[in-house]
Amino acid sequence: MLRRNDFIERSLAGALSFLKEAVFSDACALDRGFLQSLDPRIKIITFVLFIIRVLFTRDIVILLFLYALCLALAYYSKINLGFFLKRTWVFIPLFSLFIVIPALFSFVTPGEVLVSFSISGLKLTITRPGLSGAVLFTARVATSVSFAVLLGITTRHFALLKALRVFGIPQIFVFTIGMCYRYIYFFMEIIEHTCLAVKSRSGAKIHYKRGQRIVAWNIAYLWARSYQLNEEVYLAMLSRGYSGEPAALDDFRVGTKDWLWLAGVLIWMSLSFH
Amino acid sequence: MDEPIFSLKDVYFSYLGKYPALRGIDMDIRQGEKITVLGANGSGKSTLLHLLDGLIFPQQGAIRAFGVALQEGVFNDADFSRDFRKKVGLVFQNPDIQLFCPTVEEDICFGPLQLGVGEKETACRLEKIADDLGIDDLLQRSPHQLSVGEKRKVAIASTLIIEPQVLVLDEPTAGLDPKTSCAIVEIILRANSAGRTIITATHDLHIVEEISDRVYVLSREKKIARVEEPERLLADSRFLEEHNLIHTHAHCHQRQAHTHPHQHPGPDHHH
Repeated sequence: MLRRNDFIERSLAGALSFLKEAVFSDACALDRGFLQSLDPRIKIITFVLFIIRVLFTRDIVILLFLYALCLALAYYSKINLGFFLKRTWVFIPLFSLFIVIPALFSFVTPGEVLVSFSISGLKLTITRPGLSGAVLFTARVATSVSFAVLLGITTRHFALLKALRVFGIPQIFVFTIGMCYRYIYFFMEIIEHTCLAVKSRSGAKIHYKRGQRIVAWNIAYLWARSYQLNEEVYLAMLSRGYSGEPAALDDFRVGTKDWLWLAGVLIWMSLSFH
Repeated sequence: MDEPIFSLKDVYFSYLGKYPALRGIDMDIRQGEKITVLGANGSGKSTLLHLLDGLIFPQQGAIRAFGVALQEGVFNDADFSRDFRKKVGLVFQNPDIQLFCPTVEEDICFGPLQLGVGEKETACRLEKIADDLGIDDLLQRSPHQLSVGEKRKVAIASTLIIEPQVLVLDEPTAGLDPKTSCAIVEIILRANSAGRTIITATHDLHIVEEISDRVYVLSREKKIARVEEPERLLADSRFLEEHNLIHTHAHCHQRQAHTHPHQHPGPDHHH
């Protein structure tokens, strides 16, 4: 039987560890691979172009080429392919499964019959256009997700944020997201320490009603703490001259390698569209 | 004698209008001086520093800084505000408050860029300050990945890069090991040798002599209890004990129990 207090504790611990690993792990981004050496702005532009190409093609060969390119880029960026495949294929069923399965059958996609079978007296028919549509859709999702994940793990998150300014996103927006990124970790630590403090004073088992009260109290405390922090951080910003318009150091440098990569991608893109 | 850069006359401040934090504060601070504000927890040290940095304003009395009365209205003048922020830099007690950017480099550069220092000049200052404080290897890291001592150094760097005339520090050695405390004291002394006025709030007695020409002691009544040279003040154990800066307890030395005033500035404490 599931113990309800364990459920809360394990959910919190799981969420915290996922956030720490997913959001704050810069291990891959700090490797000295091909993608890590590119300027984040050029990398974002080219990856967005790849994803657009994926969305606009119905040619499975182009899709397979792009997916192979993605895997090759991962390999030359010193990403462990097992880790990369695991990370991307976890998301793909989530995105595609529920959409793709009905599309296989004749009641959604009529056409040439491939296989027919019945479940509990219900006759189901998989059609050729249904199957090819499903394969195309899954290949699109797989390739797009792979490019998005590859961009995320080979670029430090703050660099990714800063590079968003290339797309005209206002500095204040980028700055605010950056601060959120900074303080999510701070609050995660508070939650973690509070959990430990509760555990140290109450033992392993708490009645679930009491557990709920503690969680509710902690949510309230965290809200109050964030409100207080908000005021203190604002004073710290004022103290260093903030007057409503944040300025940031533009330390990105576009080198020859970046220009060559961009040119190569653009040439391939224009050739593939013709 | 030089005109004071900060002059406080009968300053009173309370939180929510009913919890007094400071009462009747009189203070004169001159360029190049090293001033320490001593006081037990909750004596109003941080509030006093926030007043000096123009973040909050007195409800009674007056503060003059660089010849101008510090009131909320004067900071609406963008030129005055920029000029004042360039002259006065505050290092907050909690570095997690001061370091609000995703990377150390961005945090350090935040101040000069806000104050209109060009990108090239900011980059030069960054290189120099990182080298001076030995934090070159931290620049690309996130503040949450740093130790308390590293955070404190980065917080000081983020203020020093503005090149302020007055460096205000709130508990700069709180919670630090002796070696890191020494490093911080060295940074403070170097800043003073470069001509900066240093105002430090602390209750860490073992650094007071080094970082002070004059010490203001705040009492539990949130008033100035004494203004004194550090040597004379530290010699007055009774006064320090009265103001909760040292304590008396009994313990043994070579199997002989005795009682005397005692302070714990670090592992190597004095008797």
